[in-house]
Amino acid sequence: MSSSLNVNVGSVNLKSPLILASGTCNFGRELSEYYDLNILGGISSKGLTIKPRNGNPGVRVAECDSGMLNSVGLQNPGVHYFIENDLDFMKESGAAVIVNVAGHSFEDYVDMVTTLDLHKAKIDALEINLSCPNVKAGCMTIGSDPEAIKAITSKLRSLTDLPLWIKLTPNVTDIKATALAAQEGGADAVVLINTLMGMRIDIRTRRPVLTNNTGGYSGPAVKPVAIRMVAECNQVLDIPIVGCGGIADYKDVVEFMIAGASAVEIGTACLVHPALPVMITEDLDKYCEDNKLQIKELTGTLQRW
Amino acid sequence: MATRKEYKIKLISKELLNADTCYLGFECPEIAGTAVPGQFVNISAGTVFLKRPFGIASVDREKGTFNIGVKIVGKGTEQISKFETGMEVDCLGPLGNGFDFEGFGNVILTGGGTGVFPINFAYETLTSLGKNVTVCEGFRNASQVILNKPGYVLTTDAGDTGIKGTVIAGLDTLNITDPSGTLICCVGPIPMMKAISVWAEEKNIKCLVSMEQRMACGAGICLCCTVKVKDDGPDGFKNVRCCKEGPVFDSREVVWQ
Repeated sequence: MSSSLNVNVGSVNLKSPLILASGTCNFGRELSEYYDLNILGGISSKGLTIKPRNGNPGVRVAECDSGMLNSVGLQNPGVHYFIENDLDFMKESGAAVIVNVAGHSFEDYVDMVTTLDLHKAKIDALEINLSCPNVKAGCMTIGSDPEAIKAITSKLRSLTDLPLWIKLTPNVTDIKATALAAQEGGADAVVLINTLMGMRIDIRTRRPVLTNNTGGYSGPAVKPVAIRMVAECNQVLDIPIVGCGGIADYKDVVEFMIAGASAVEIGTACLVHPALPVMITEDLDKYCEDNKLQIKELTGTLQRW
Repeated sequence: MATRKEYKIKLISKELLNADTCYLGFECPEIAGTAVPGQFVNISAGTVFLKRPFGIASVDREKGTFNIGVKIVGKGTEQISKFETGMEVDCLGPLGNGFDFEGFGNVILTGGGTGVFPINFAYETLTSLGKNVTVCEGFRNASQVILNKPGYVLTTDAGDTGIKGTVIAGLDTLNITDPSGTLICCVGPIPMMKAISVWAEEKNIKCLVSMEQRMACGAGICLCCTVKVKDDGPDGFKNVRCCKEGPVFDSREVVWQ
């Protein structure tokens, strides 16, 4: 991998724009069976909560055209278990450590950030998940309301010097309003986008395929929505954007960066091809060499009609 | 850059076992060389998005080939059944934990449906090890019977071949003289495995079950394919990954739905 893939997300330097998206890589350990994680710009952990969560019961995945619905429901071992058992592994992987922080209330997020701040030497950024569609309270409920986003971001800002990346939901009317609220609250970056809420029905039983009834749609099908939101937000934000949604090859990475992303997260495509980041990294290297550019030069170079 | 456990496998043989089930042979020395009974592979299924998981039905370690059985139940399995020999597809494997036969002189392999494929791999492995193996399989009717070998105890719900009744009726005919030295390995539909686990517990025989759940990645990273197992924590259970902690579990650990 060449230095031409170096990017910055605010103060966070990444050796590649490719970050593994939260919820599609656990804490990286399983994927290290497939390839050397040191090629990655970063790894965003499974969404963590203060207490362990068993997640949603029953069927959690429903395949769709060019993607899938999931309703895992933030199953995770809890932040304390993570700190004891997984944080060091992530740090030693060589990829930047992004810890995804979820919660059900304002207080949950405060507790999480206070706890994680004690381990800041091992963490490169906190990704505040205000967007999970699969839990009953918190997350997307907070993340749909600009006032709530601003309030929670500014509170968390006061608790830590770690970079705060706010991961936003696309399930809103005006993504610019929620992104601006994160910026006004003191966010260092926004991550666009989490999954789109959806449903699939078994026509024989007339029941939803997912036991949770609804789930989050991800995969190549959602990419145009994500690209549009990144491009829109890039017109109004001063803080960097991390693009996420449907990335499956190096051209998708380039497209997100032209739209305005400083780095990108790849997720659902890795569920199909776990070692995909290896191929994308090689292709990005070649793209930079062929076009004689540093990948970071692409960010926000969209030429609108 | 090297990647591991993700291979291009070549289809080398294809055979129709009944109206909706086929038996496919693939070339992949890495998978054939290391797979153990109970493990599975995750195979690209044409135009559908996700790979499809299949229990390994047989391996030929010298030739570097392995087999799977595919029952057509939807778009993905239909496309796989139409693969032509010579074509190459993406595959992850071998995945998951297989059956641990260690310490047992007698093994009863039991199940039905597509469970007969992993049972076949276990049967071939155990007979080559010289273990005492009994196979008892249940099907709906004679037309569904596949991979049946001489000496197997066969049951059908319809009674048009073998013993009439469920697989439990077949298990009841067995003369088990050494329960503590006997292991039951079970692969089949969930209600069948639940019934067999109750039967095994009554007889004080250790029972391993190969669970199934809708799966996305097969690699342990998405947490979609979870199985409920007993736990001492506040919920009394925990969700563990079928693809990673399983698919084989001790039947007494499973919280049956």
